[in-house]
Amino acid sequence: MNHRPFEDWLLAENPLTPQQERELTAHLQICPSCSSLAEVSLALRTVQQAGPPAGFVSRFQVRLAAQRQAMRRKHVAGFVVLAGSVVVLSIGLGWPTWEIAIHSPVDFIGSWLVSLTNLWASLQVLFHAATVLLRVAPGFVPAYLWGLVLFAFTGWSALWVVSFRKTAKIWQGV
Amino acid sequence: MTEEITWILRAQQGDEDAFTCLVQVYQRPVYNLCYRMLGEPEAAEDAAQDTFLKVYQNLTRYDRERPFATWLLSIAAHHCIDKLRRRRFLSFSIDKDDENQTEIPDRFAPDPETEAVKQQECDRLHDLLQSLDPLDRAAIILRYWHEASEVEIADMLHLTVPAVKSRLHRARRALARMWQEETPRLQAERKPYESPAF
Repeated sequence: MNHRPFEDWLLAENPLTPQQERELTAHLQICPSCSSLAEVSLALRTVQQAGPPAGFVSRFQVRLAAQRQAMRRKHVAGFVVLAGSVVVLSIGLGWPTWEIAIHSPVDFIGSWLVSLTNLWASLQVLFHAATVLLRVAPGFVPAYLWGLVLFAFTGWSALWVVSFRKTAKIWQGV
Repeated sequence: MTEEITWILRAQQGDEDAFTCLVQVYQRPVYNLCYRMLGEPEAAEDAAQDTFLKVYQNLTRYDRERPFATWLLSIAAHHCIDKLRRRRFLSFSIDKDDENQTEIPDRFAPDPETEAVKQQECDRLHDLLQSLDPLDRAAIILRYWHEASEVEIADMLHLTVPAVKSRLHRARRALARMWQEETPRLQAERKPYESPAF
C-alpha cells in the first residue's frame, strides 16, 4: 500500500487543509500501518507527567548531607594516609643521613656538596652528548624517514583528537 | 525567572536552601524524564536524586546564558542514557513494577471511563517506550512529555536538528509498528465491560 503522502503528513504534525484531512481520514480507514501511527501520535499528545512520591526534597537533603559527610571522611582519610606516608618515608629513608648529620655536621655538608658537584658535572656531560648527537644524527637519517616520522606523528595526533572528541562527554558543566 | 536566577546565584555560593528551592521546582520534570527513560519508579527516584546531586556539585560550571531547565534535563537525560547502556551491558533482567507510579489525574477529565482509557494508553505507551533505543527514547520524552522544541532537544542531547528530526520520526514509526502488533492481542485480552481504546 502506498503510504505517501499520508505517513509524511502524520510524521510532520503540521496543520492539514480540509481536503488533506478528508483524504487522510479515508486512508486511515483502510491502512492499519498509518492508523497505528495516528493512534500513537494521538496518545503522545495526551501524555501526562509522572511525579515523584511525596518527600522527594527531604530525601534529597538527606542524601546530600550523607554525600557531604562521605566526602569529608574521604578527604580526612586521604590527608591521614598522605601525612603518614611522608612521615614513614622521611624516617625510613632519611635515618642514616640524620645519624651522620647529628654526629659530624661538617662531613654531612661536605658529602652533600660533593654530590651536588657530581650531579652538575653529569648533567653537563649529558647536555654535551645530546648536542653532539643532534648535530650528527640528521646526516645519518634519510630525508624520507624524517617525512615518515612527521606523517606518523601528525596522523597519531589527528587520531587522538578524533577519538577524544568521539568518546569524551563534551557537554556543558559535567 | 528572576527568582530562579537568584536561587542559582545563591546556590552557586553554597546556599543549600536556595538549591532546595530549585529541587522543589524541578523535581517533577526531572523525575518524569527519569521514569519514562528507565521505566521503573525506584530507578527513576534514584536517577533523579543523582541528577540533582550532580547538578549541585557542578553548579559553578553552569552557563547562565543557557536556560537552567535545558541544562538540568540534559544532565538527567545523559545520566539515564548512561544507566541504560550500563544496564544493557550487564544484561540485567528488569521486572516491571508500576505499583508506585504516581500519575496526576487530569482535573478537567470529562468522565472516569475516558480517563481510564487515557491512562491505559499512557501505560501502554510507557511500556512500548522501553523498547526504543535510549537516545530515541530521550528525544521522544523531551518532545512530548516536556514539550521541548527540536532545537532544544538537539541542544540537550548534543545532536544536530536534522538528527533529532530523523530520530523522532524513526521512534514514532517504531512505536506505531509495536502498537499495531500489540493491538490484536490487547483486543483479545480486553474484558467485555471495558471500552475500546478508539
